[in-house]
Parts: sequence; C-alpha cells; structure tokens
Amino acid sequence: MTTRHISFTLNGRAVTASVQPHENLIDMLTTAFGLRGARESCGQGLCGCCTVHVDGQAVSGCLFLADMAEGTRIDTIEGLGGADGTLDPVQQAFIDAGAFQCGFCTPGFVMMVKTLLADDPDPSDDTIRHYLSGNLCRCSAYPEIVAATKLAARRIAAEGRP
Amino acid sequence: MADFTIEYPGTLAEALSFLDPDDPSVRPVGGGTALMLMMKSQMFHPTRLVCLSRLSEPMTGCREDGDHIRIGAMTTLSQVEHSALIAAEFPVIHNAMKNLANVRVRNVATIGGNLAHGDPHLDLPPIWAALGAEAIIHGPSGQRSVKVEDLFQGYYETDVADGELITEIRVPRLPGWRATYRKVTTRALHDWPAIGLTLAARFDGDRIADIRLVLSAAVDIPQRLRGAEEVLRGHRPDAMLLARAGDSAAAEAPMEHDSRGSVDYKVHLLKVHILRGMNEIGKG
Ligand SMILES: Cc1cc2nc3c(=O)[nH]c(=O)nc-3n(C[C@H](O)[C@H](O)[C@H](O)COP(=O)(O)OP(=O)(O)OC[C@H]3O[C@@H](n4cnc5c(N)ncnc54)[C@H](O)[C@@H]3O)c2cc1C
Ligand code: FES
Ligand code: FES
Repeated sequence: MTTRHISFTLNGRAVTASVQPHENLIDMLTTAFGLRGARESCGQGLCGCCTVHVDGQAVSGCLFLADMAEGTRIDTIEGLGGADGTLDPVQQAFIDAGAFQCGFCTPGFVMMVKTLLADDPDPSDDTIRHYLSGNLCRCSAYPEIVAATKLAARRIAAEGRP
Repeated sequence: MADFTIEYPGTLAEALSFLDPDDPSVRPVGGGTALMLMMKSQMFHPTRLVCLSRLSEPMTGCREDGDHIRIGAMTTLSQVEHSALIAAEFPVIHNAMKNLANVRVRNVATIGGNLAHGDPHLDLPPIWAALGAEAIIHGPSGQRSVKVEDLFQGYYETDVADGELITEIRVPRLPGWRATYRKVTTRALHDWPAIGLTLAARFDGDRIADIRLVLSAAVDIPQRLRGAEEVLRGHRPDAMLLARAGDSAAAEAPMEHDSRGSVDYKVHLLKVHILRGMNEIGKG
C-alpha cells in the first residue's frame, strides 16, 4: 500500500503523519493521533459527528481524504480548551444548558457552533437551525442545543473575546 | 480497498496529463464529497485520483465577463452562496444553496464536481440549464463548450469524457428574467427530491415573453419541458393556461416511480408547482 508522509498543523502544532490513500481525516486522527472526539457515525456527511475544521472551515471528516490535509490547518474539539483545562465558552455553555445526554454528537455540535458564531456572533433561531441542520442528536437535545448556542453567544459578547 | 495514487497538479496542463482518456478508474477530484461516497460504497475503485485543489484561476472564483458571469469549476458551493455577485445576478442560485445539503458539504463540494457527477437529483444543474449556462471543458484536444442543457446523456452519464475536465461555468446575465427553483422533498433536507422544477421567465407586461422550464429528480436527466413552454410563451398566465401547461408537461416528462413517489403523485406535484412557481415569479 502506498504510504505518504504529510505535514500539517493540528490544533496549533506542526505535525506529520503517514497516511494511506483511502484513509479519511477521522481514520487519521484516531490512528495517528489518538484523537477520538470527532467520530465517524453515518459516514455519509449527514450526521455531523465527524465535524472538524480545515483551514477554519467546518467539514465532514468522514468525506475528506486524509491525504488532502497536507499543508492545511486542522482544528478538532481537543484543541478548543485551554492548556490549563479551562473549557471554551461553547463547551461550557453546552454543559450549563444541559445540551446533551449521551454526548456522542456533542463534539460535532460544538465544532459547528464554533463555525456559526465565527460567521454570525448573534445568530437568530433560524440561522442556528440552518447551521445545525446537518447535525443529528439521537437523544434529541435540540432545544437545549439551541439554548446553549445562544448562551455561548451572549457570554462571548459580554467577555468581548472570540 | 485496492491501492491507488493521488496527484496534485499545479497547472491545468499538468492536470490533463495525469488524466487518461482510456481509463475510467482515473478520476479528477473536486471536493471529493460524491467520490468518497462512491468509494465507500465500493461503487468506484480508483487507480489514480487527480486532485484539482491546487489549481487557480480560471478554475477558482466568480467573475464578470461582459454580459456573462464565469464561475471556476473549483469554486466551492459556499463561496458561490456567499458571493455578492452571484446573489445580485442569479438570486435563484443563491436561494437554492440554503436547502442544498448542509454547511459542511457546501464548504467542500465544488461547482464542477456538482455538475460532472451527473446525478439528476442535484439542485444546481437544472438551474444552470434553465439559465442558459454552458460548461467550458478542456481536454487533450483543446477547449470546447457545451450547454448545460445538453451536458447530460443519461443517469450519471455526461458528455464530459474521461481525460477531460470542466474548468468553468459561463452564465449569461439575464436582465429582466426572474427565476425560481422548487425542490419537493418528503421532509428532511438530505432526502433526494421527488421532483425539482426550475422556472425562468421574462415578462412583457403581464404576458410571458419567454420562458424555460426544467424538470429534474423525477427523470434520468434534467429535462426542458418544451411543450409546456410553448403553451405558455406569449400568453398571460391565467389558471386555464397554467392547467394546460401542466397537462402538457405531464405528457412530455417520462417520470418514473421510485421510493419518493408514484408517477401519479409526481404528475400532481409537477402541475401544482408549475402553478405555484409561475405565481411566484409572475409577482416579481
Ligand atoms: C450529506 C450530503 C447531502 C447532499 N445533499 C445534496 C442536496 O441537497 N442537493 C444537491 O444538489 N446535492 C447534494 N449533495 C451532493 C453534492 O452536491 C455533491 O456531492 C457535490 O456537489 C459533488 O461535488 P464535489 O466537488 O465534492 O465532487 P467530487 O466528489 O470531487 O466529484 C464528483 C464527480 O465529478 C467528477 N469531477 C469533479 N470535478 C470535476 C471537474 N472539474 N471536471 C470534470 N469532472 C469532475 C469526479 O471525477 C466525480 O466523478 C449532497 C451530498 C452529501 C454528501
Ligand atoms: S460521520 Fe461524517 S457526517 Fe456522519
Ligand atoms: S446527546 Fe446523545 S446523540 Fe446527542
């Protein structure tokens, strides 16, 4: 099997990885880096459990060839919190609003909400639903997820930080 | 999964040299969203993928070119969605994006891949066809252009040969035209539509001066409904006329029964949406 060595930035650190041509981003993040926050569930772009950011844009890791990560900046849920363990305001809002039960979908939702708030710091309900329409929560925590998104938006605005 | 290689050409000429007119297992990659699904489901086993992500203009971006707008094949659906130029010139394209897949897919999927995939359920190809757009295609023997309306030859079959690339879409500016795309799905957005109907028309007072109707999803390829257009062209779209256009459309469209509905159901949808679509664009 052709193995290629690629270099990219993962959660702010320059890294290299060996990838095989058929591997997707999730395969690579789990096998080469032991990161399990983004996970492959539907494998078809529909559920959002595999959401990661490539060059600042949310993508479905399950549909993205790992090989194409060469030279990009990849951010995952593991990179959100501070080194001292403080959580990102979006993560904290999900906890405070009770926006999950089993938590399987949560990393994907949090990464989508990060994208949403970067694009629109004060989103309407419609905009929230629109951005999150590609994320599924089988525990159906949707009302709490919308509430968490608004809570995060308010806190970020109050703190004046991204 | 059998082994394959992935190439990243830096120029169009290099990209063409990596393709192979005689080998369908060598394919270009736009965003890869459709290809990945075909590879995962074992429908497609590549020997070589030619990734177009390092190509620049004219393969990327939206720009004005006299009385046309040109969109590079590698422009992502999100870039088109957020382009002020596209929103101003072709609101029907801008509006369709909101209900197309989801933010993550739009961030990656490309205009060229969307067109070359040849899936009749997709939302943009029928709209490009109704707008009179053409695909610019480069291959070993140079450049040619094909009207999007004539690009599709069958279910997942297009006029783009192995060894060729779509480089741009060229869309005429249509001053005075109004258009709408009506996507009828059973509920969830990821559901393929039972029918897609694009209506584009130019009015002269309350008469339809010119019109193009394109049916998609319920047929093998996006299809002009020329009989129904003929019924409508030059007339005032009252209820009687729209009903006649609906009958004509139903007679000329070879719709098929599938999991998204019976032929009767789709005929009904087609008639209803000709009526609603004309009411929508007739109001201006
Ligand atoms: C979860 C999900 C939901 C979706 N929902 C919708 C929806 O609601 N509406 C809709 O319209 N679509 C929908 N789609 C389909 C989506 O629009 C297509 O997958 C996408 O547009 C394909 O673009 P791509 O760049 O990723 O293509 P790729 O996967 O890169 O390529 C697709 C095909 O085109 C060929 N190709 C790519 N670029 C070129 C080129 N420049 N020249 C010649 N050939 C080329 C490839 O070889 C391949 O055969 C959905 C997809 C997913 C995954
Ligand atoms: S696993 Fe990628 S979107 Fe569901
Ligand atoms: S919290 Fe269980 S799937 Fe969302």
